[in-house]
This record gives sequence, structure tokens and C-alpha cells, in this order.
Amino acid sequence: MNKEEIISELKTIIQPYSEEALALESIDENTDFIKDLKVNSANLVDIVLDIEERFKIEIDNDSMAKMLNIKSTVEIIENKLQVNGG
Amino acid sequence: MVGNDIVDLQLAKVQSNWQRKGYLEKVFNENERLLISSAENPDVIVWLLWSMKEAAYKIHNRVNGIREYAPKKLNCFIVPKVDLTRGRVNIDGAVYFTKSSINSAYLHTISSSIQHQIDAIKISIYEFPNHPSKYKDKNPGCISHHGKYLALAY
Repeated sequence: MNKEEIISELKTIIQPYSEEALALESIDENTDFIKDLKVNSANLVDIVLDIEERFKIEIDNDSMAKMLNIKSTVEIIENKLQVNGG
Repeated sequence: MVGNDIVDLQLAKVQSNWQRKGYLEKVFNENERLLISSAENPDVIVWLLWSMKEAAYKIHNRVNGIREYAPKKLNCFIVPKVDLTRGRVNIDGAVYFTKSSINSAYLHTISSSIQHQIDAIKISIYEFPNHPSKYKDKNPGCISHHGKYLALAY
């Protein structure tokens, strides 16, 4: 799965937790979950759990700590997928 | 320095399903999960601990400039049978003291790094649509917004 495909999956995952339709439509690496997408901090846990289910990966606490924007989230998913695949 | 966090309990009910598999394990340490599972009203304890973590993080984040999503690093201490409203949160060797107000509509927590200053913090809570339009002009020390509620702490 490449970066664009991961971002497109993320868009679907985040959609139920963000009312910022415009910001969500134009997400890129710099999009911040809380500042730009106005995701409630208690729903960030849901996003992490949805990512685990969708990509069949496990996100540890240190990785979750960095998951505040699209860029670091994509990097974490890419790394975990690589570990799983390798 | 002051921190605060408000939870609109009606909105939290529909917005978050903490009973979802894996949810509590991502947010709360073992002691905190024990407090939740042994509570008469686990819903209140979930949001009480959550707001304590948020209120403490808001100070910690400003003091250290660290932005991270690590709710489990914030360790909450309360004495549930004695007083739910007074607590303490530890993170990376720092201690924050908390005081919460709980009713059926909302749960609000204030935090301070100095224990005796917690009672000097002034709180204004507004229910929509009665939010003051220029509340930032009031120079609050911390602002929290959730659902119908706006909470300012000075």
C-alpha cells in the first residue's frame, strides 16, 4: 500500500469523527487531527483503534503519542506494515 | 498556571463509546481501570479521569512545549470513597493537583501545579447559546469547550 492509498483510507476512517468536511476533503501530510480536523481528543482513541483494525497492525503507546497529524500517522502505519510484511 | 477541561456528559454519551474493545486499555493504566470497573457509575469515573488527564496535560504541554497524545503517561490518583472531586495527576515526575465539579449535565476539572492555589482559581461556565462573544478578552488562564459548554478558568 503506498502513501496515497494510506491517506485515502485514513480519510474514510476519520470522516465520522470530523465535522470539518472541507479540511477533510483536502487533507495532506500537514493536516493536524485536532487543530485542522477538530477531532475531539477522546475520539482520537477511536481513530487509533480503527486504524489497528483496518490495517491489521498494533499501535503501541509510543507510536500513538506521535499520532497528531497525517504525516506521522502515515509513517507509523508504513513502518508497522513493513514489519508485518517482512 | 491553570488548566481546565469540561466534558458535556450528554454529548460524551453519543460521541464516545468507551466500552468499545481496546478503548480503556489505550487510555487508562491498570489502577485507573480498576477504579472504573469497581465504580457504581463507571461513566462518571471514565470522564472524571479523562478530564483530570486533559486539565493536567494543558499545563504540562505549555510548561514543556511537548505536544503528544499519550493519555496513559498521565497517572490519576483519587480516593473514590472519600472525595471524588480532589485528585492528583503525575506525568514524567511532575505533579498536578485537580479539583472537579460533577453534576448530571457536565463534568469540569481545574488543575494547578501548586496545591494551595487550586482553591483560588475562579471558574465561569456558560451554556450555549449564552456564551459571551468576546470571552478571550477576559484573558482566561485556560479555556475548554465541549458540546453546549464553555468553561473559563482564571
